[in-house]
Amino acid sequence: MSASESDGSGLFRSLISPGLIDQLFSFCDDHAWTLLVIGTVIGALPPILGLKQGYYMTVISEMFLFAILALSWDIIGGQTGYPSFGNMAFFGIGAYTTAILTKDFSIILPIAMMAAAGVAVGSAVLIGAAVLRLRGHYFAIATLGVLLATQQVSRILDITGGASGKILLQTPSGTVFYYFFFTVLVAEAALVYYLSNTRFGFVLNAIRDDEKKATAMGFNTTYYKTAAWVLSAFFTGLAGGGYSLFNTFINPQTAYNAAWNVELIAMALIGGSGTVTGPIIGAFGLHVVIEYVETAFVGWQLVLLGLVVIGTVIGFPDGITGTLKEYASEMKYYERGGMAATDSNDSAEVASDE
Amino acid sequence: MAITQFVVNGLLVGALFTAVAVGFALIWGVVDIINLAHGEMVMLGGYSSYWILNFLTGDAEGSVTLFLVTIPLVIGIVFVIGYALQRILVARVIGTDIFLTLLVTFGISIAIQQLAIQAWSANPRAIQILFTDPSLSVAGIVIPKMKLISFIGAIGLTVALYVFLQRTRTGRAIRAVSQNPEAAALVGIDVEHTRAVTFGISSAIASGAGAFIATILNIQPQMGLIYTLKSFVIVVFGGVGSIPGVFIGGLMLGTVEELTAGLVSSQWTLAVSFSLLIVLLIVKPTGLFGEETA
Repeated sequence: MSASESDGSGLFRSLISPGLIDQLFSFCDDHAWTLLVIGTVIGALPPILGLKQGYYMTVISEMFLFAILALSWDIIGGQTGYPSFGNMAFFGIGAYTTAILTKDFSIILPIAMMAAAGVAVGSAVLIGAAVLRLRGHYFAIATLGVLLATQQVSRILDITGGASGKILLQTPSGTVFYYFFFTVLVAEAALVYYLSNTRFGFVLNAIRDDEKKATAMGFNTTYYKTAAWVLSAFFTGLAGGGYSLFNTFINPQTAYNAAWNVELIAMALIGGSGTVTGPIIGAFGLHVVIEYVETAFVGWQLVLLGLVVIGTVIGFPDGITGTLKEYASEMKYYERGGMAATDSNDSAEVASDE
Repeated sequence: MAITQFVVNGLLVGALFTAVAVGFALIWGVVDIINLAHGEMVMLGGYSSYWILNFLTGDAEGSVTLFLVTIPLVIGIVFVIGYALQRILVARVIGTDIFLTLLVTFGISIAIQQLAIQAWSANPRAIQILFTDPSLSVAGIVIPKMKLISFIGAIGLTVALYVFLQRTRTGRAIRAVSQNPEAAALVGIDVEHTRAVTFGISSAIASGAGAFIATILNIQPQMGLIYTLKSFVIVVFGGVGSIPGVFIGGLMLGTVEELTAGLVSSQWTLAVSFSLLIVLLIVKPTGLFGEETA
């Protein structure tokens, strides 16, 4: 269990004890809404304080964008336990919707954004009806197939501009996108946090842990997992809707970016999937690293991404949040008597569960 | 007439798909993971053959015999890679969440693919096989000689794997591990080693197919994912754990793709095969020839 990762860290343990981390977690739990408000204020400040449009604003906006994507993935992948490898399909659908509506039909941006989310939700309902019947390996590959199929369709159609894509010239300033991505992120984080303490969130976690039991308890699991899938698609589509104009260019490669598809899963996993803060922390951290590697060692960022994914999965699959939580719970474990408190029956049960 | 030609083309290509997919099915059956890096083994096979030929002749051109000589080398190289990947990386996540096993192979896939781009650039390459007369014509149907040789080669690889699994001691060990790893360990089979050998053999067969693919289509670092997905479609068509099923599934997928390409447009092949897959998964999740056990 946690023994391997804490044995060699005597110094770390004496500086930051499990109890301290535990206090931190309970503090965050108790004051989650306050912290969210503080975070919102801090996040809203930079442009007001004079962050100019340019490289740093783009990077920060992208951090928000990736946090939205990772958090959206986590609703279906982390909370509900359906490992989707096709979330970028909704991103692409949203991106193309705003691109087409604003360029070809001269529809104003806010309406185009709403349409993007709407189209993403509509496709999610249709696609979900087919793929959500599958589980495990089959679900993962089917969603990957959906991603490739939608990419292929946008390459063929005329309205999407085919393989060469669309160039979008009339776009709002970077500050608008900064606040757009930031607002969506805050709204999503608040919603996911709220839901995780409601019946809805608990049912999603129940589906993840044992779908058959959840069904047996009388929950309409199809309804719940479709709702989670649609929610995930809604925010992904909205982010995509903003991205096409933010990027001023869209083609099948950028809209259904296969690298991002892995990145957002990696972000959720590194931060700690199944939590609210995990995917956001993971997205901020990994994006900064990838952005740095991309500028310093051009072309190596995806090699790094692959290695990071392998390393995370093998090294600490619970992610930062999950690993810290386990570390924090050690304190309680020893307070309650450690191994001595567990009688032989319990440990036999644990062993048979493995 | 045109339709017969498409079907023949489909069968010729389908045999290569089969050779790629049997390895995928074998790993799925024995190690119980979906190897998302399987397509990368095809890619590595293609490139190994390309570079060996390049080393021997100065450019990637050669006679059929010379090309066939590279195949055992390619198979050997990729076997070692596959064995090492299983032993060092994949073995650590076996028995955990399915999602983690998928991600670790996905990570391997990206890393190999991107390293290949760094090493060999993203440009497509192909092996040129020199013939005096490149095509045969039978009753109005054109059969390129290289496609025919690839067809025979691919079937040879598949049959060799089948015989290996049925007849040899290692093959029996692999089947034993696939049926019950604990019981296999009890009778003295080194399960970890056997799984790694399975991974190596699967990768090796895929790389052999990759070498043939390099002669009739082309190869590029990012080709892998498509072959992984094709393998998945084929294995689901045929049913997990059935080599004859995979064989028929591969020929079917090849035919369906060539017919779509010929009658509609080559752009739609992927969408059509995936729609078929999703329909099949919903209607008959065990595959056309699969057994009922999960």
